[in-house]
Amino acid sequence: MNERVTGAIRYSQDVERPNMLHAKIVRSLAAHAQITRIELPGGIPEGCVLITAADVADCRPYGCLVPDTPVLAETARYVGDPIAAVAAPDPRLAERLARAVAVEWSDLPAATDLEAALAADAPVVHDVCEVASRRGAWSGMRPIDGTNVSHRSRLIHGRGEAGFDEADVVVEGEWTTASAQHAPMEPHACLAEWAGGRLTVWTGTQTPFNLRRELATAFGLAEADVRVIAPPMGGSFGAKTFTRIEAIAAALARAAQRPVKLVLARDELFLTLNRHPTRSRVRLGATRDGRFVARRVWSWWDTGAYADTGPNVAAKGAWAAVGPYRFDHVEIDADCVYTNRPSNGAFRGYAATQAAWASEQCVDMLAERLAIDPLELRLQNVLRDGDRFATGELMHDFHVAECLEAVAREIEWDRSRAGVGLCALMKGMQTPSRAGARIELADGRLTVHAATAEIGQGPTTVLPKLAAEALGADPRLVTLAEIDTDVTPFDTRTTSSRSTHMMAGALGEAAEALRRALADELEAAPGDLRFTADGGIEIVGTPASRRPLASLPALSGEGEHVIEGGLDPDSGQGIASAHWHQGAGAVRVAVDRETGVVEIVGLAAAVYAGRVVDASRAALQNDGSVVMGIGSALYESIEFSDGQVTNANMGDYQVPAFRDVPAFAATLHELPGAEIHGLGETALPLVPAATGNALRALGLAQSHLPIHPERVLDALDRSGA
Amino acid sequence: MSGTVWHRPASLADALALKAELGDDALAIAGGTYLGVLLSTGLIDPPEALIALGGIAELRGLEVDGDVLRIGALETHRAVERSVAVRQGGFEALADTFALVANVRIRSVATVGGVLADADYASDPPAMLCALGAVVVLASSRGERRLSIEQLILGHYETAIEHDELLVRVEIPRPERAAYLKFRSRGSEDRPCVGVAVVRRAGLRVVIGAASDRPQVFPELCALADGRELTPELCDEIAGGYAERLEALDDLRGSAGYRRRVTRTLVRRGLEAIA
Amino acid sequence: MSIEVTLNGRPCELAAASDEMLLDVLRRAGARSVRLSCGVGACGACTVLLDGEPVSSCLLLAELARGCAIETVEGLVDDVVQRSFDELVAFQCGFCTPGMILTARHLLAENPSPTRAQVREHLNGNICRCGCYPRIEDAVLHAARTSEERR
Repeated sequence: MNERVTGAIRYSQDVERPNMLHAKIVRSLAAHAQITRIELPGGIPEGCVLITAADVADCRPYGCLVPDTPVLAETARYVGDPIAAVAAPDPRLAERLARAVAVEWSDLPAATDLEAALAADAPVVHDVCEVASRRGAWSGMRPIDGTNVSHRSRLIHGRGEAGFDEADVVVEGEWTTASAQHAPMEPHACLAEWAGGRLTVWTGTQTPFNLRRELATAFGLAEADVRVIAPPMGGSFGAKTFTRIEAIAAALARAAQRPVKLVLARDELFLTLNRHPTRSRVRLGATRDGRFVARRVWSWWDTGAYADTGPNVAAKGAWAAVGPYRFDHVEIDADCVYTNRPSNGAFRGYAATQAAWASEQCVDMLAERLAIDPLELRLQNVLRDGDRFATGELMHDFHVAECLEAVAREIEWDRSRAGVGLCALMKGMQTPSRAGARIELADGRLTVHAATAEIGQGPTTVLPKLAAEALGADPRLVTLAEIDTDVTPFDTRTTSSRSTHMMAGALGEAAEALRRALADELEAAPGDLRFTADGGIEIVGTPASRRPLASLPALSGEGEHVIEGGLDPDSGQGIASAHWHQGAGAVRVAVDRETGVVEIVGLAAAVYAGRVVDASRAALQNDGSVVMGIGSALYESIEFSDGQVTNANMGDYQVPAFRDVPAFAATLHELPGAEIHGLGETALPLVPAATGNALRALGLAQSHLPIHPERVLDALDRSGA
Repeated sequence: MSGTVWHRPASLADALALKAELGDDALAIAGGTYLGVLLSTGLIDPPEALIALGGIAELRGLEVDGDVLRIGALETHRAVERSVAVRQGGFEALADTFALVANVRIRSVATVGGVLADADYASDPPAMLCALGAVVVLASSRGERRLSIEQLILGHYETAIEHDELLVRVEIPRPERAAYLKFRSRGSEDRPCVGVAVVRRAGLRVVIGAASDRPQVFPELCALADGRELTPELCDEIAGGYAERLEALDDLRGSAGYRRRVTRTLVRRGLEAIA
Repeated sequence: MSIEVTLNGRPCELAAASDEMLLDVLRRAGARSVRLSCGVGACGACTVLLDGEPVSSCLLLAELARGCAIETVEGLVDDVVQRSFDELVAFQCGFCTPGMILTARHLLAENPSPTRAQVREHLNGNICRCGCYPRIEDAVLHAARTSEERR
């Protein structure tokens, strides 16, 4: 039985080392403050440690794009910013000590939301030009001096905004989204240990190699002197990306000279990484007969106190705001804005959720104005193979139109459009991108070494399956090894639904290399080798050549799959994605007109998958994406008061439960001979936008996500119904 | 850290003697869910002493005696929810109300005495018990006293229970008609945004829970139904009066204005349900 | 202090601090399938059966379990619900799975042939953030049918 079902699976919170200490973070109570004194009244008990910014003064700030994040802050930049940490032999003692730590500070002016951070005289969270010019910063940074805009991503296509002069009709609207929590069932957990000048970290992470580099930066080590071991995660959805808590555990372990384990409590997840709240202004111009002419978008992405991957989210948000449509002219500005809030970063649906919420509702606004069927309007303008996208790239293997038609059939669009909304979407994968993989044969077993992190999406099943397929071997002979950056070949990271696509390429090459090694060993041509059902290998047509795999010496084959691309930060031109995640959604709602409660009574999501490797797990991914989309549409909102999160628990922050999920149809569309497409997060962004359009169809248009019944009642009042 | 001292009295008399001796230094604990949340989220330090009530037989019992249902303070939400005596004794709406609380794990341990003694505003049973005209029996070594729910719950987490007293049971007269509407403004696991309990016995009682720090009832509005049939017009009138007079707070589940607005709808729907 | 319980059918003494939750004590005793997630009884990842009833071990002071029979998935042998979850792949990350299985067992003990609506109602307080709900419902219904066929 699967170890998840028996309960035998071990996550990073289960890792233990001899003599380890348990850690607890001391966090700022102020949104923006200079910390002046930190002390443990009564002193630090023997065997325990307390570290503050002074103890990590030798460490450099880190960050995946902008090195703006200190290991511990001397200037606290949000309520919850780690300013000190304690470690003790017992986790309960560590908690007590952390609570007892006395902190003094002097407050600085704070900008605790987008509006405050964008005001003309806004307090500055960071000197954006200074942090962007630091060593290690992404060269594509476009900070705006003297403001909180750490990066402005631009996309210009055709004549840009000037192209609106060709439009007969122009519609425009403004939309906002709240911050959301990934809320993986397993909180972040890691264990750090130093030995012989090397740092080893066990941690649930989607980004072991980024983490290795950031830890090397922070502690002034060579990358080779950092080792990241990544056990399976109990969910992540973007939460466990880049460096989250590992640097603090490492600093404590360095101070204590003992291994230190750090496990977050639930409320701390809300202080660690969330989804970007946004504001978007979208203008759409079209001809009288409904041909899209021009799109102009301004969007603001609240990245919180540290940029993390925010500039990249804004960049994705820029082209995601175009949508899967042909335009003659596009102009987009997407600003990544610092605020005195917890950091916002990668979140399943990466920028597409916020972008589609605004842009897809703007499409329905146009449909209404022109009195054109929203499905027809989309089908008229949707990109097809051979069309050129606003980034300049040519579309290939593109099936959004078929997805739209599929969901329209499923939701019975022709029968009744009352309370039904649509959404069409394209999403990209991390580009450029590199994936390495190695297949090893030893003791009759085949082991895959690949850095695709097990989050629950199933690489433990899928990668061995791909390797076995490429080798022509029985998948039961193949297992996936745990990620260990000392051993596992480099991989960009497990994000953006890229892994199965990329690893299929890398494993294909690795399998070929292994077959060549086997051929050398058996003195045969690689093409003549055949794995037998009983765990042997033979030369085709020569049964006598059969040898048990266990009798062969250790052999291995390595492969790599590389894709090039990327966008120019000033024009948004280039290659946004090597292949496209595509989908369409349709939602039917029923509204209680007295309470404003919205019930999703019908939901269809169609996602193009190219080739599916494991049908059962692919369906789980797609279904789960829909379920999370329902949460984003109706419930999930992190609330703040003066910069402080006020609902940092799973009672007050609502995620979908069984009864919140209606029967729905989520389908994966396959095409014979097609390549593998990412499918893990395409459905999520469809749900909020389609729900928004469903309400729009009832005359109850919503500008803010999530949709709260109170605002639906307000819309009812406005509609005079 | 000397740790928490556990007392395990075997009788009510022993428990009351402990309460008299230790007062607020010793917290009485039954299911411990509320205390568990406070402890596990670090909102309070571990108490010096706990009096575990689990071994006290006098605090148990679920029985219908004539027109009165008696529920021992230690009975769990699940026990009430699943009790044949309660359901067949004319208290089905009460059983249904307890079944709406949180999830099956919480209801397995959370007690009837606990939900009243905690006086958390965002709860379902207090409003229903208040509408039913339940009487709470408090005991101390000084004797017993009987309070209505309005007299018991004074504010946020604040009750009339004295430091030496224990809530021992609840006595509930059988209603003619009763209904409870739990209104959630977000997910199906959310606490109530507003709870409306409507009960008809001698007269009409409509109680609004979860809208402010304590259950609210407006007897003058209820009295409008005295000797009258609950016509749609009358339901509307009472509902409108409740919406107007309701004291409401703002939280994640809705603003005060929104709560007043849905209260109007829910009171009307509740009245229609028992008309 | 030392707390006598029966853990998965075996009598044992659990060492616990006087203000410690059952969750921590059970994990120390090796029941690692019992996991802390929300810490406020809202998610069900720490579900155990206490004298047959599901409880949130993150909220239950260990002392309150004195004398009780505690069941975790470590104690399951040839269990029809567990096998059904495995066969149907009713999980993604697996963090919630033990709690789901135990709550489903409790449901089937009370109601051997539940409807889908009853499954959803009973399991509603067990959160699966991966969103495997439809598959989990299928697995519980499949387990119920399998048990029925066996009977």
